[in-house]
Amino acid sequence: MAEEKLGRFPYPHEFQVPGSLEGWEEMYPPQRLFSKDREEWEKNHFWFQDKIHAPEPMYPLDDIFQEAWQIALSGYTTRVFCIPPAQGIAQRMMGCYMYITPLEPPPPEVIQEKAALFGKRVPFVFQNYQRLWEEWLKKFHKLGAEMKELKVPQDLGNYVPDEQVMPSPRGYTDAAELMAAFNTIVNQIFRAWQYHFEYLNLAYLAYLMFVDTARKLFPGIKESTIGKMVAGADVSMFRPEEELCRLSRLAASQSPVRNILKKAGPAEDKIKELKGNDAGRKWLEELERVKDPWFSVSCGSGWYHYEGSWIDKMDIPFSYMQSYVERIEKGESIERSLSEISDERERIVGEYKSLIKTDADRKSFDDAYDVVRSIYKYAEDHLFWVEHWLHTIWFSKIREFGGVLTRYGLLKSPEDIYLFNRFEVPMLLEDLATSWALGIGAPTRGKYWMEKAAKREKIIEAAKKWSPIPALGVPPAEVSEPFTIMLWGVTGDTVGEWLKGGKAEPKDLNELKGFASSAGIVEGPARVLKLLGDVVLLQPGEIMVAPCTNPSWAPVFTKIKAAVTDIGGLTSHAAIVSREYGLPSVTGTGLATSVIKTGDIIRVDGSAGTVKILKRA
Amino acid sequence: MTEKWVYWLKEVGTEHNDLVGKKCANLGELTRAGFHVPPGFALSVHAYDRFMKETEATPRLLEFLSTFQADPDSVADTVKYDSASREMRSIVEAIRMPADMEEDIRSRYSELCRVAGRENLFVATRSAGPVSHPGQYETYLNVCGSNDVVKNVIRVWSSTFNTRSIIARARLGLPVHYDPIGVAVLTMVDAKAAGVMFTVNPVNGDESKVAIESSFGFGEAVVSGNVTPDRYLVDKVTLDIDERVVSDKGCEFAYNPQTREMEYVELPPDKRKVACLEDREILELTRIAKKVEAHFGCPQDIEYAVSMSLPFPESIFLVQARPESVWGKKKKESVLGGKTGWDLLFEKATTPVKLKLD
Repeated sequence: MAEEKLGRFPYPHEFQVPGSLEGWEEMYPPQRLFSKDREEWEKNHFWFQDKIHAPEPMYPLDDIFQEAWQIALSGYTTRVFCIPPAQGIAQRMMGCYMYITPLEPPPPEVIQEKAALFGKRVPFVFQNYQRLWEEWLKKFHKLGAEMKELKVPQDLGNYVPDEQVMPSPRGYTDAAELMAAFNTIVNQIFRAWQYHFEYLNLAYLAYLMFVDTARKLFPGIKESTIGKMVAGADVSMFRPEEELCRLSRLAASQSPVRNILKKAGPAEDKIKELKGNDAGRKWLEELERVKDPWFSVSCGSGWYHYEGSWIDKMDIPFSYMQSYVERIEKGESIERSLSEISDERERIVGEYKSLIKTDADRKSFDDAYDVVRSIYKYAEDHLFWVEHWLHTIWFSKIREFGGVLTRYGLLKSPEDIYLFNRFEVPMLLEDLATSWALGIGAPTRGKYWMEKAAKREKIIEAAKKWSPIPALGVPPAEVSEPFTIMLWGVTGDTVGEWLKGGKAEPKDLNELKGFASSAGIVEGPARVLKLLGDVVLLQPGEIMVAPCTNPSWAPVFTKIKAAVTDIGGLTSHAAIVSREYGLPSVTGTGLATSVIKTGDIIRVDGSAGTVKILKRA
Repeated sequence: MTEKWVYWLKEVGTEHNDLVGKKCANLGELTRAGFHVPPGFALSVHAYDRFMKETEATPRLLEFLSTFQADPDSVADTVKYDSASREMRSIVEAIRMPADMEEDIRSRYSELCRVAGRENLFVATRSAGPVSHPGQYETYLNVCGSNDVVKNVIRVWSSTFNTRSIIARARLGLPVHYDPIGVAVLTMVDAKAAGVMFTVNPVNGDESKVAIESSFGFGEAVVSGNVTPDRYLVDKVTLDIDERVVSDKGCEFAYNPQTREMEYVELPPDKRKVACLEDREILELTRIAKKVEAHFGCPQDIEYAVSMSLPFPESIFLVQARPESVWGKKKKESVLGGKTGWDLLFEKATTPVKLKLD
């Protein structure tokens, strides 16, 4: 970037997005934009692009999750568990991408006040976590069930049916219910995101504490090893894949099912064929039994409506099962061995413990380990239930709203609803309800909404072609917000790399640094998966380069030689799965997807945390 | 009856430090514990004693010393000690070993040849002082044939009269003419690579790492610091190779059959920057290092060699193990200060993280 000054990025107010994005601001509510009236404050903060939650341009309605986490994450840090010097994380949109900043610590007297509350509340959570988790799961299931049961009227009818009028009148029309239903689902998703952060801040804090403790004892211990020490084997996020393995084994044991699953072709055809025989029908019953909840897993991160979930893109789980069945026939093992993973964890912890030199330190280490183990599972479990299961329900419900708006001529297609933000959707619904109520011949503003949708679609397309700047403003001297460090991997080194990358044109960079998250060195052709849907293009033996990955990609890891991500620390999904499959990985490189092109021959050194481009495609 | 003066390595252990010298005792200990050590035998201090006392050696040395006068604390007199050393060594090296000793050494050498399955086996004759003075006395490599073995054993003994040693003894008021040491006669490993490893990271004392240094050819290149070795840092628990630095090694320390001497040979350019160990060798060395450390109960400084003719993993030999001298001696102090998990959590929650930017 030409305007870049030494040691800092452009300020938000001096930064210009490309002209092709003109008009992007109107997609997002005003409180989410950089603004003249807050210029001083915004200039004094360091904003970096959130590639974890918003690696791709943000559709206005998908932005609701971001709004929800800004409030929830921050509130749990500042007002609920009161982590003394930490404050929240603020978000701003810039050219359809989201930038975030951790706030600086509050005044000393506030830190003191918070310390007292922290000291009272946090030990309670650690001591009671098992019970709290069970209660959490119960209430979360209840919330999901309510969302699933939410009625979204699809046909307003010419006249309300008799039973709504007599003998006991309901008192409101489906049009009114439709408007109310959207408000309800918005409240539900905000509630879900409140629950999401109930224990996550503390789980991350405990993890960071354990990293510090281990580093004091063993200065050279790698974070990937610490990751192995704290990771649970039996976590919800791995269940979808486990169910796939189980279904594949079941299929492999019966030749009619096995032969159908091994065929190429769409899932739909295979399901039809399976219905034609007894074994197939039995197998399908088993599939139905596990589909809810375990196939409600996003094909992407869960953050974008267009990613889809297994349950509505059955081609994906069926293609995974196709390769699993083939591997079972070859006598290969497809399952992660839970006992091996936990045995390995015990071994690593045990051996490190035996290397501690004093009994006092061994005791402190044990205690620190108990603290992190008591709660860390939350970091692994919540992900499936919120980002995958509940978001899948949300997306399918939102499509129902899109469906009714399309049916009544306000939208061209149901998916277009995502081009309107959550404050605008009620306008469309009100427009529909009004025109229906007025009687025959009252026009809606359908044309206006459709034109707006078309224009916004173009802006988003333009934004996809733009590589957004990694950060804005002046990097801070210190960070006290646990998520910033752990989740986004923001350290002096990473910011330095971003600055370096920001200065050089991506095509001039030949080496990237990231976290050495899974050891080993390999060379091979790169496959850049910038959009999560591109996963189907991946060829065996390629090195995957992606913004980040998530557990529904797990079967992909059997195909690739190594993994490289833009974002993610040592406990990111890509890091964990790479270690399990024994593949080298480098995470949190910041720039891999913009610097590396598909077909480039690259060398991934998962021990040193470097990625080198050996030959350009 | 005279004292027993020669032992197979497996007959000795660390309890025999004062008898056969530390190096022999440690090699014996390693052999007994089942580690792969080149076959060999040890001459005890009694062998030295017999040689010095049953031959003309002692009277001749004493005769020479009776006319020798110099001040060990005077730098100027170093020259005098230099020529005295030359004189004393030539006296010693001209003397024949008692016949029974010579015969025993020859027959043990034949036995080593038989075990190795080859005639004229190359052996090393290494000095082994009862108290470790690394490098104080001398070691001769690539000794071949029983005549040479006998000759070089005497040369090792005579190295107790090298300049440094006689000055040191004179300063301490010890007898200059007599300083019994052990000698190890060890089968040479035809090393493609060799070096040193520590069972602690020598940089920061992290005991969860094994640090390995390695160079082409014989290990003296690494020990003497004459080449910049390849360096590896391996995690003892995960066996991950955390760091690897492949250096420009310049030359290797190798045997020259023409001159029959060891010499530094420049490596061809295409070989200089090639890693001299394979990953499986690095990992096997790490596993061995962990076992050696467990056997001796403290961080170790280990010398190893990798044979070019034997198949992996029999190719890996240990040629020395001793306690690591820096971190091993540090007092074991608590680094966490007796804190509980909650203390540590609270501390973490209240401490901002500094971001260091260049």
